[in-house]
Amino acid sequence: MKKILSALLASVMVLAMLAGCSNQPSASSNPPAESNPPAAASQPAENNNNNESTGGKTITMWSMWSSGEPQANVISAAAAAFEEQTGVKVNIEFKGRDVNKVLAASLEANENIDIIEDDYKRIGTVYNKFTYDLTDMAKAANYDSFSYACLNNQSIKWAGYLNAIAEQPQIGGIFYDKDAFAKAEITAEPKTWSEFLDVCQKLKDAGVAPLAQDSAYCDFAFYHTLVRYLGEEKIEELDLNGGWSGTAAEQAAQDIIDLVKAGYFVDGAPDEFPSSENKIGFGLAAMVICADYVTAEVNNNTGTQVNWGLFNYPAVDGGADNGAAYMGANSLAITSYSQNPQEAFDFIMFLTTGEWGQKLADDAHQIPADSRNTAPADLTGTIETLQAAESPMTWCAGLSANADIKDTIKSLCVELFEGKYATGADFCAALDALY
Amino acid sequence: MRKNKAMIFWFCLPALLSLVIMFVYPVCRTVVMSFFQVESVTATTADWSFYGLGNYFKIFGSASFMTSMRNMLLIWIVGGVFTLLLAMLMAVVVTSGIRGKKFFRAAIYMPNIISAVALATMWIQYIFQYDYGLLNTIVQLFGGDKVKWLGTDLKFWAMTGSFIFGSVGYYMLIYISGIEGIPQDLYEAATIDGAGKGRQFFDITLPLLKGVIKTSITFWSINTTTFFLWTKMFSPIDTESSTIVPVIYLYDMVFGGKGITQRDAGAGAAVGVVLTLIIIAVYLITERLFKGSDLEY
Repeated sequence: MKKILSALLASVMVLAMLAGCSNQPSASSNPPAESNPPAAASQPAENNNNNESTGGKTITMWSMWSSGEPQANVISAAAAAFEEQTGVKVNIEFKGRDVNKVLAASLEANENIDIIEDDYKRIGTVYNKFTYDLTDMAKAANYDSFSYACLNNQSIKWAGYLNAIAEQPQIGGIFYDKDAFAKAEITAEPKTWSEFLDVCQKLKDAGVAPLAQDSAYCDFAFYHTLVRYLGEEKIEELDLNGGWSGTAAEQAAQDIIDLVKAGYFVDGAPDEFPSSENKIGFGLAAMVICADYVTAEVNNNTGTQVNWGLFNYPAVDGGADNGAAYMGANSLAITSYSQNPQEAFDFIMFLTTGEWGQKLADDAHQIPADSRNTAPADLTGTIETLQAAESPMTWCAGLSANADIKDTIKSLCVELFEGKYATGADFCAALDALY
Repeated sequence: MRKNKAMIFWFCLPALLSLVIMFVYPVCRTVVMSFFQVESVTATTADWSFYGLGNYFKIFGSASFMTSMRNMLLIWIVGGVFTLLLAMLMAVVVTSGIRGKKFFRAAIYMPNIISAVALATMWIQYIFQYDYGLLNTIVQLFGGDKVKWLGTDLKFWAMTGSFIFGSVGYYMLIYISGIEGIPQDLYEAATIDGAGKGRQFFDITLPLLKGVIKTSITFWSINTTTFFLWTKMFSPIDTESSTIVPVIYLYDMVFGGKGITQRDAGAGAAVGVVLTLIIIAVYLITERLFKGSDLEY
């Protein structure tokens, strides 16, 4: 009897353990996808209120936000409203910023996910084997008419088809405090490097440090100068093979060194993120080179409402790419194996356009994904800039092409802003020493 | 009670299965993977292509990996010396019969019960802060100029110092338990023989703590090779060479970083194997150095 009891107990333990290891979704949390075939991509739901056609379905979304963040709150509220209107339940899992660490593996394992959310470059280059072709659904929704062509074209360039819908478009450049400019009696935004230097001097004379710079963004700031002189393709080539010395990279580095020597950076720069950028909120600095989210960061961190303005990085004499500006997006995509792609697409449209798109822009303080909506006051002009852009500059892609040395290059960029190099040639020699 | 071998087997089976599935299999897979070119950590073996020692040549030829190894070695040696010596000192002081023993023990151990994220944030945003940080306030009080504690020159040492602060309490507890296990008779006899506190420490406490020291060195080696969170906190947006350690290099290799879309799970596996071999080597060396240290008293 004891033997039987022991064997039974052990069997129960083994079974319980194996059941616990199962990756089958539980009925309560993740109802299994229905067995109907995927909706034809060319036939989007024409009426989201039609409960009979879509009701009872559940779609699962893995979000890159953490629960409680403004974006997460809007997404949750939008999902509830979407369910109320269509009967389609959106099961959202807030995975946080490091979602990219688990997404690729989860997609390869055909995890029960319909919508993923991440940087559009990763969606276009890493997850593209597992993303749905949204071309037909986007066409039916007339997506081109209210989205940003530069972002769509970039997605198509990476993936070969439209596989991402922008949720949080971003734009980079020099963000500045308009009040500081007014104090220094600066009436026009600088367009060229010499005009930029004039602006810096006027700000310094007015008692405001011209530039804030956190070490975390030193590579991004220097990348702007490099792109002006060399263009992204040439930077990538140099990053992979070396040979920086003797190129225009020396002048790019020299420009930064000159800024440092002229005392145009705020005391402490390059500082630990976000200490330096916060100094704009405290009225100690006037400008920062970053993406548009810096405005919300500074406002939130310092409890102030900076009167923000934005201008593109100034052009340099004989520059190879004087018009480039960073543009990117956190985007949404549908998995290629989703059983409910049309419902997923409808939810994406529901979230990123119209009322909820506006709420997302207002609450998360971001550029609206729907160009018909209105940008928050201090991001005025960003919609038009994005609409007018043709090809976006990446986030340091050229300097990250060589994964083996990207960390060292980043540290060298910080050293450049610390004023450790006497000349641009010295800096380029340090870069070449890495190869 | 008569031994029932079948019953022992059945009760051990779940634990054995867990061990095989969750430990032995991943370890074996990682070792094998390190000899293959594999892009994704979950790629099926059909997508693997044999690469021989290519991944090992790749990582040892990588400037970032070598920097990360140098950083890890410095944390292990410098951080280890400071942490273990400070922990030993605190343990001896706390067990010496001073007043408020419980308070000091709790105070020194406290950093271990605070989230390391909160602890690192305190160091970065308050103690090392350039404008109003504690250290620069003290420096200015003495008439000095503000120091960039988190500049490229000092960032590594700032991170290591913070890590030491968070680690001392843990090792102090280990040493306290070892010291309290030493019979008081030995100290009483030594006192009668005229031995002072210093002599007692070097001739009684230290020799009888050899086994504990051996254990703490092994623990410290494991802590150092799995060093991760502090680097992430001190390089918040993207990895920097001043704070990179092998596990971060592995992490970036396997999952990519900000703006990085390349992934190399094979090279990541090779890093994992190298780290494991380092821990085994340290363990074997300490075993040999502290041979015969398991005393009974």
